[in-house]
Amino acid sequence: MSFDEAVRLTEILLGFAFAQQSIEHVRSYANEMRLHLPRLFLSVLLMVGFHSAWVLVLLLVLGLAMLHRYQGPYNGGADRMSLLVLVCLCAVHFAPSLRWQEVAFGYLAIQLTLSYFIAGWVKVVNHDWRTGQALRDVFQFSAYPVSESLRQWAKSPRMMLAMSWSVILFELLFPFSLVSSLSSIIALAIAASFHFSNACLFGLNRFFWIWIAAYPSLLWFQQRVFAVTL
Amino acid sequence: MIGTLKLLIPALLPSWRFFDTIGPSPRIQFTVLSSESETPSQWQEFRPRPATLSLAQMLRRMLWNPSWNESLFLTSCAERLCQQPTPHSEDEILKRIRKGLLTENSQHSIGDATYLQFRLVLVKRDSAHPQQVSFQSRIEPLRSRA
Repeated sequence: MSFDEAVRLTEILLGFAFAQQSIEHVRSYANEMRLHLPRLFLSVLLMVGFHSAWVLVLLLVLGLAMLHRYQGPYNGGADRMSLLVLVCLCAVHFAPSLRWQEVAFGYLAIQLTLSYFIAGWVKVVNHDWRTGQALRDVFQFSAYPVSESLRQWAKSPRMMLAMSWSVILFELLFPFSLVSSLSSIIALAIAASFHFSNACLFGLNRFFWIWIAAYPSLLWFQQRVFAVTL
Repeated sequence: MIGTLKLLIPALLPSWRFFDTIGPSPRIQFTVLSSESETPSQWQEFRPRPATLSLAQMLRRMLWNPSWNESLFLTSCAERLCQQPTPHSEDEILKRIRKGLLTENSQHSIGDATYLQFRLVLVKRDSAHPQQVSFQSRIEPLRSRA
C-alpha cells in the first residue's frame, strides 16, 4: 500500500468512525449537538476528500472543544485513539517534507503496535490476569458486560483462563507480525475480530471503528520499514 | 485552554494500559423524593442492563449504541467522582438521570416525585463487603432543567 493510498484510506475510515460517533448524539443536548452536527458534516467532507487538510484542522478544533465539554474523553480509549489519528493526519498534511510526513504517519503505526503490546505486557505481569481471575472480575462485576446473562461466563474459570491467555499472547506477539506483509494482514484480521468481540460483549463499538481506522498506517509502515530492511 | 491541552496529552502519548487491574466498579443508583427533607430509602439502579441481548441486537449496536455509550461516560464520571469529586461529574450524572426519568419511554417510575438524588455504590470482588457507598449527590429538583 503506497503512502498516499494509506493516508487517504485512513481519512475515509476516520471520517466514517467520527460520523458513526456523532450520529449517536443527534438526539442529545443542545450544547452537544452544537459540536456533533458540525463534526458529522465535516466527517462527510473528509470521507469524500474535500479540502482534507483544513477539514482535519477543524475536526481537531472540535475534538479539543469536546475534551473541554466532557472534561476529558467521552468514551475513554476510543476518544484518545480518535485524537491520535486526527493529530497524526494533521501532521501529515502540514509537514514540510515527505520525510516528516512519513514520521508523523509512522508514529501512528508505532502507537497502534504499542496499543496491543503494552496492553499485553501489563496483563502478563499481573498475577490475576495470568490465573484468569482478572477476566472473571471483568465479567462478574465490572460495568462492561452488556447483559446479565454474560455475567454467568465468570462461573467458567477454564474458559476465563483460556480467554485471558489468548488475549495476552496475541497482544504480546502482535509486534512480531510486522516481519511480513502476510503476517501483518493476518494479525490485523485477528485484532479486528478481537475488537468486534469486545463490541458485542462489552458494547465497545467505537473502539472497533476507530482502531480499524489506524490499520492502513501499519500496512504502509510494514512495507516501508520491513520490506526495505529485510 | 491550558487545561484542555493537558487533556490532549494522554491522547498524543497514550499509556495503553487497558484493564491492567480490575478495581472496584461504581454503580449509579438514584432515588426520587417528594421533598428536600425526605430521607432516601428506595434506591434504584440507573439503566440496569438487560437480562439478555440477542446477536442481532449486538450487531445493531455496532452502528447505533448511544444509550450504552452514554452509560460508559457516566461510569467515567462516577470513577472521577470517586477519585477526585468535581461539580462537572456530579452535574453530568444528575442531568442525564433526570432526562432519562422524564422521557416518555423511561423504564423507571417516578410518580409525583419532585426531587432527585443519586449515590455511587462500589462493587468489588471481596465477598465479605461486596458493596460500599462511596458518594452521595446533592438533592436537586427533578423538573427544573428538563
